[in-house]
Amino acid sequence: MGHYILVLLDENRLERIKGSDVENNIKSMFGGELKCIEVNVPEELSQKILKTFDTARIDARGAITDLPVAFMREFFNQIAEKKSIGPEVIEATLAKADQIKELAAKESEYLPPPDIEV
Amino acid sequence: MSTSLLIQRPLPHGGRLVERVVRDKEVAKKMIKGCPTYDIKPTLHYETGVPVRNVYREIMSICYGFFSPVEGSMTQAEVERVLKERRLLNDWIFPFPLVFDISKEDYKKLGVTKGDRLVLNLKGKPFAILDIEEIWEIDNLEEFAHRVFGTPEDNPEVVRHRFDKKHPGWVIYRSHQPVVLAGKYTIINEPKFRPPFDRFWYPPRKCREKFDELGWRTAIAHQTRNVPHVGHEFLMKNAAYTGDIEPCHGILVNAIIGVKRRGDYPDETIVEAQEAVSTAGYIKPERRLVSICLWDMRYGNPLESLLHAIIRQNMGCTHHMFGRDHAAVGEYYDMWATQILWTKGIPSFGFDKPPTDVPYGVQIRPQNMREFAYCPTCKEMAYSETCGHKKEGISGSLLRGMIAEGVQPPSVILRPEVYKVVVKWWKHFGYPFCNEKYVRDKEKDLEVDLEDL
Repeated sequence: MGHYILVLLDENRLERIKGSDVENNIKSMFGGELKCIEVNVPEELSQKILKTFDTARIDARGAITDLPVAFMREFFNQIAEKKSIGPEVIEATLAKADQIKELAAKESEYLPPPDIEV
Repeated sequence: MSTSLLIQRPLPHGGRLVERVVRDKEVAKKMIKGCPTYDIKPTLHYETGVPVRNVYREIMSICYGFFSPVEGSMTQAEVERVLKERRLLNDWIFPFPLVFDISKEDYKKLGVTKGDRLVLNLKGKPFAILDIEEIWEIDNLEEFAHRVFGTPEDNPEVVRHRFDKKHPGWVIYRSHQPVVLAGKYTIINEPKFRPPFDRFWYPPRKCREKFDELGWRTAIAHQTRNVPHVGHEFLMKNAAYTGDIEPCHGILVNAIIGVKRRGDYPDETIVEAQEAVSTAGYIKPERRLVSICLWDMRYGNPLESLLHAIIRQNMGCTHHMFGRDHAAVGEYYDMWATQILWTKGIPSFGFDKPPTDVPYGVQIRPQNMREFAYCPTCKEMAYSETCGHKKEGISGSLLRGMIAEGVQPPSVILRPEVYKVVVKWWKHFGYPFCNEKYVRDKEKDLEVDLEDL
């Protein structure tokens, strides 16, 4: 079973990939209310991700989820930098695993909540 | 109404509700006078030392009747029968071994024997007693854990991968201590739930009384350990159309409250988010009751579904909805293993027929549901077996990812009132999901407090 990582796109992220081939892979979800990209992950790299990040898991849809926010940010940075969604962006992200883990350790203590009235 | 087609509330599993709670403090004091005491300890992960279970939750669920007809920590013969046939010694079906396990060192220190009454302290206060009927040892914890969940060789119908330490339920059994004190539990000092859990505490007798008060003859149970997204909401709304000559009168949401894993939503968020679905009117409160049951989830998919059926039958439900990957984690079981159990049985687990059709089985009626997903063509949530268009699935993990990255999910997949509850507890804990601090603090504080006896 092939796995994938779903990258959410807000306005800022859409701007950073504007004009690149990555734009052709943008999907619109939930009646156009959400934009995203599905990045296919080869089996070998799936296993490497699961082994490297202990929170990571594969959900019912086959998506690799529960990755640190720091991973997702770096992953998008690599996509924006390399203008690609090929395996090289996964490898480049994994190359920074130590740095990501360090950030993830901090973010597992505190994540700033959205500024909305509750 | 007098038609023979009406479905009546089933008796508890085993025929009667187990209630082993002494409410008279003077009686309780006499019962424990001169007895040895033991401080309940959390079960710690056999490798990492992180809490993975607290047996107090099992004692609560047993003594208040959620697990009727189980009355205590199981003897060796009973555990053997549960593992082989998923039946208790009195023949009633039951999926999991439940034991009071302690280390060899603690056993030596305690010096108890068969026939002794042991006082179990919780948070430094007397909480329950265990009347010891047998003391036995689990020889091989790893093998024990495998036998609990099954293996691809022994249970080829539904087990797809061998269980390992990535599976939290397997870890719970692997992390048990080897000495088992078997015997009946009795709560002698009722714990008090802290807010917000107190208002969701409907043990079986109280729950059945609540159904009477609400006028519910039929009720369908919804298992949850999650904040509800709109897919869950539609599952509940549509499954509730099942009933007899009319849809089910009520929907019982029963949240399993227990040890958390990093990345789960906090229990406080889950119960209040479930409540928000009703208070915001998506399913009116007169038709939906949110409740809790204490249990450290074993994530045993078909086996867990059987436990859920027993719990909710005991609470008075006539129906139980089951979805894909019910109470599952990872890809250890077939994604439809629960449906397989309830439609044709799983012979290797002791069920050559569905658990409703075997002697001493359950009476609650399964409602096996497929999936709800967003259909961009219909522009609404649609049922997989009804809508013919390509749909977009909502998963809890998709939402978690969105929330963690600071993106408010569109209202078509997460109600804004539910999102507000998520943010409320996020502000309280400093994190939207359970982190290691939450997991450790929760197992220190638990959900309850106890008064002096």
